[in-house]
Amino acid sequence: MAQMDPGTLVTIVTIIVAGAGIVIGAIAPAIAEGRAVVKALESIARQPDSAGDLRTTLLIAMALLESTAIYVLLVVLILLFANPLLDRFFT
Amino acid sequence: MLGVFPEVVFTIFGIPVSDTVVSTWIMMAVIVAVILLLRRVKPTALEMLVTFLYDFVSEIMRRPADPFLPLLGSLALFVGVANVIGLVPFITSPTRDLNTPLALSLVVFIAVHVYGTREMGLLPYLRSLASPVFLLPLEIIGQISRTISLSIRLFGNIFSGEIIIAILFALVPLFVPLPLQGFSIFTGLLQAYIFTALASVYISTGLPADEPPVPESEPQLEEE
Repeated sequence: MAQMDPGTLVTIVTIIVAGAGIVIGAIAPAIAEGRAVVKALESIARQPDSAGDLRTTLLIAMALLESTAIYVLLVVLILLFANPLLDRFFT
Repeated sequence: MLGVFPEVVFTIFGIPVSDTVVSTWIMMAVIVAVILLLRRVKPTALEMLVTFLYDFVSEIMRRPADPFLPLLGSLALFVGVANVIGLVPFITSPTRDLNTPLALSLVVFIAVHVYGTREMGLLPYLRSLASPVFLLPLEIIGQISRTISLSIRLFGNIFSGEIIIAILFALVPLFVPLPLQGFSIFTGLLQAYIFTALASVYISTGLPADEPPVPESEPQLEEE
């Protein structure tokens, strides 16, 4: 471990961070979207007339919530496919 | 095996042309051909499409959609076809490249200000952006970040779907990626819906706040 090449170390840390990041970044938006869907379903069950309005608003809100997961995905993709740190070691 | 960045197919006068640009040209040709054919063969289908888009946009913006329908309807058609056309072999989806969604959301970003200025005049519009003056930096940050998030949302959804299909294809090439491809059709159409809805919401936030009543579904179709 002490003799490790810095490029290898950066690669290992990158892979670990990518895996952990996508896991955590998927959990939180999933919980948030679940809560939003629960509230919307309760409201539709209480007032079925407002289902159309609620559906549109719910889709937009879920797109906004989901974008946080997409940001995490983007960061992970940059780390895996186009890592700027690795260029210092493997040019 | 699978790059994040698009592959350059050929260059015109030193400008690199990537495969997503070529597939955008193919896609535009397909859309124009289908629309011309539909106008000749079955005009009621076109009318249904226009009426659907009109109702959709005017329901979200809560005002008649006539001035906005050319832009928003074209965005919906373009994004929807661009997301789905990636399933055709040898054609990469144009929205798989980050540049295409970024260009589309820059169009939306400019359209917000153009429509706002056209409705209210230049000085009242600028004043409405900075209604309490100390909120102006927040407004600027919000405008920029929602443009970036609009493009990255579309790109991330399409690109992650393609990566999942590619990984499954490398593991089990037979029949297993098929349900996910069907799911990616659904995701692509849903993302086109969401892109258009968010563009409508952004444009309607730049307009004055009075709410004329939404008319019954009667778009002003030109008689052919």
